Amino acid sequence: MSAGTLQIATRRTKLHRLFAFRFALLAGPGALFILVALLLPLLSIVVFSFWRTESYELYADWNLDNYRVMLGEPAYRVFFLRSAAMALAVTLVCLVIAWPVAYFIAKHGGRYRLLLVLLLAAPFFTGVILRIAALQGLFGPIGLINMTLTEIGIPPIQVLMYTPLAAGIGLVYLYVPFMVTAIYLSVINFNFELLEVAKINGARPWRAFIEITWPLNWIGTAIGLVVVFIPCLASAVTQRFLGGTQSASFGMSLAQQFGETGTWALGSAMGVALFFSSLVAIILIGRSINLKRSGFTGVINR
Amino acid sequence: MPNAILKLESVGKRFGPITAVDGIDLAIERGEFFTLLGPSGSGKTTLLRIIAGLEPPDSGRVLIAGRDVTELPPYGRNIGMVFQNFLLFPHKTVAENIVFPLRMQRVDKPKRDERLAWIIRLMHLDGLEGRYPNELSGGQQQRVALARGLIAQPELLLLDEPLANLDRELRSEMEVEIRRYQKELRIPFIYVTHNQEEALTMSDRIAVMRNGKFEQVGAKVEIYTNPASAFVASFVGHANRLEGKLVELKGDVGRMEWLGRSILVPSPGPLSSGARVQLSIKYEDLEIAPAGANGTLLQGRNQLPGRLRDIIFKGQTANYIVTIADGVEIIASATPRALSLKPEEAVVVHWPAAGGACFPA
Repeated sequence: MSAGTLQIATRRTKLHRLFAFRFALLAGPGALFILVALLLPLLSIVVFSFWRTESYELYADWNLDNYRVMLGEPAYRVFFLRSAAMALAVTLVCLVIAWPVAYFIAKHGGRYRLLLVLLLAAPFFTGVILRIAALQGLFGPIGLINMTLTEIGIPPIQVLMYTPLAAGIGLVYLYVPFMVTAIYLSVINFNFELLEVAKINGARPWRAFIEITWPLNWIGTAIGLVVVFIPCLASAVTQRFLGGTQSASFGMSLAQQFGETGTWALGSAMGVALFFSSLVAIILIGRSINLKRSGFTGVINR
Repeated sequence: MPNAILKLESVGKRFGPITAVDGIDLAIERGEFFTLLGPSGSGKTTLLRIIAGLEPPDSGRVLIAGRDVTELPPYGRNIGMVFQNFLLFPHKTVAENIVFPLRMQRVDKPKRDERLAWIIRLMHLDGLEGRYPNELSGGQQQRVALARGLIAQPELLLLDEPLANLDRELRSEMEVEIRRYQKELRIPFIYVTHNQEEALTMSDRIAVMRNGKFEQVGAKVEIYTNPASAFVASFVGHANRLEGKLVELKGDVGRMEWLGRSILVPSPGPLSSGARVQLSIKYEDLEIAPAGANGTLLQGRNQLPGRLRDIIFKGQTANYIVTIADGVEIIASATPRALSLKPEEAVVVHWPAAGGACFPA
């Protein structure tokens, strides 16, 4: 550096301190809440999973028995695989149902499109249990569908009564609004003119969808996949109300450890397993996102 | 024109109560640079979208290379198109954007690469193949859009105000570039713009559009020097508009009364004396001289004495703003070095008798 170069020392001015203070004031409470309400319970579950329960009491002697039981007992493996398969199937069905609905609302909903999306969420106004109970009322042996069929002399549909299919339909019903919302939020920011460009350049509608629409809305779609898959993987209530014995899920078993059997430590280990499975799912889906290839960082020229 | 690449036969389009395109007939030949020039709302973009197949016409036929494509979707028409806002695919690289049309036509990879290398060289895009659109400047983006539109050697290329989003310097550079591509590739270009300078720089022929109709179609020099209507005269080039009363009409020459002065004008058509007429005279057709200049110089010419208000220096030329009467100004453009006039000087503006273009007002 030459002798004449002016050196400007970095210094902390009053303004710097003011900005730092303002930032702490704004971000502080939220960060504190996340720390206390989300991370601490998670941490405690990890800790409990290495402890031992006996007659509804937790003992802090560190061991790996809970994991040994969970991985060793075939029942838990069945529960887990069942939950995973169910979550996968439900997610895919939600995807297939939600895409056209979200696309249609975003493209043709006009001034009512926000209202339409909110309408999809209307069932949320009532709470999960009530919605599942309503489905039970629809599918069950004395439910609306089968009662009507019996009345007109047709045998009731067996597969709707306390079967994995019924539980699956229930889960799709519960989670499809999340998928629609995620995809909708993506599609309203999609520049439909790009499809005209694709068509002029020789792409048929289906090809244009695959080349342009799908990749440019993949982030929103991936978020939809995550927000449906993860809760479905842990789901217990739906299977319990609608699924019958064939649908007993990992989540149901987990709930049992904290309830009837009182084996909190094993339950915690199952919770940890669920947490890491979800993490793996998020990472797998996340890895499919290439920011450069999503058009997300690109300024979409309007 | 038997060899027309594009043929429009009484094409019409309405949007509700508005007639956007009103019975347009047009034929465009191979190798022609054709411009649709008009103000916004004149229907030029709608007409372009009808040609592209993005908008179905309500009436008439569209023929490309002799084939009736009126009912065909855009992907059956083999055309290229370049848009004002570039519309590159943001998730594809420059190379992927450019070869997109070839991939859609199932051209094999070696052939695609060969075409890509050719067009990259033509458009000076070397080294940018792997970039994403958001990593390019506006001019580069527009060149990529042009490359994408041209790589498949379409029957014709449609350009919808492609330079409107570029800054002035880049625009004039691209005007020359685009015309060069057109002349090199001999693909007919149909260029939509509201910018008359762009139209004049690039086109072979221009159609001036207004309210969904062609006001005038012709070679650009013809449009410029011989406007068919008052609208064309005011829209193409920079012209003074003098509106007055026709007092006499003798053959090709009329006499117009304007602010108590008598001006010789070209015939505005069969009008009876007393009719309101409008003279349109381009800035550069006016000459300016100091008051009391040599009388023989002004002999037989239209003359308007006035006071020079200001000189707007533009480089090659300057605009001389002359106050003729209270609140009435006319503008003459001239080479600034040729004149040593000062503002507030008394001057006389003059031009050949019966110069300019005259229309019923």
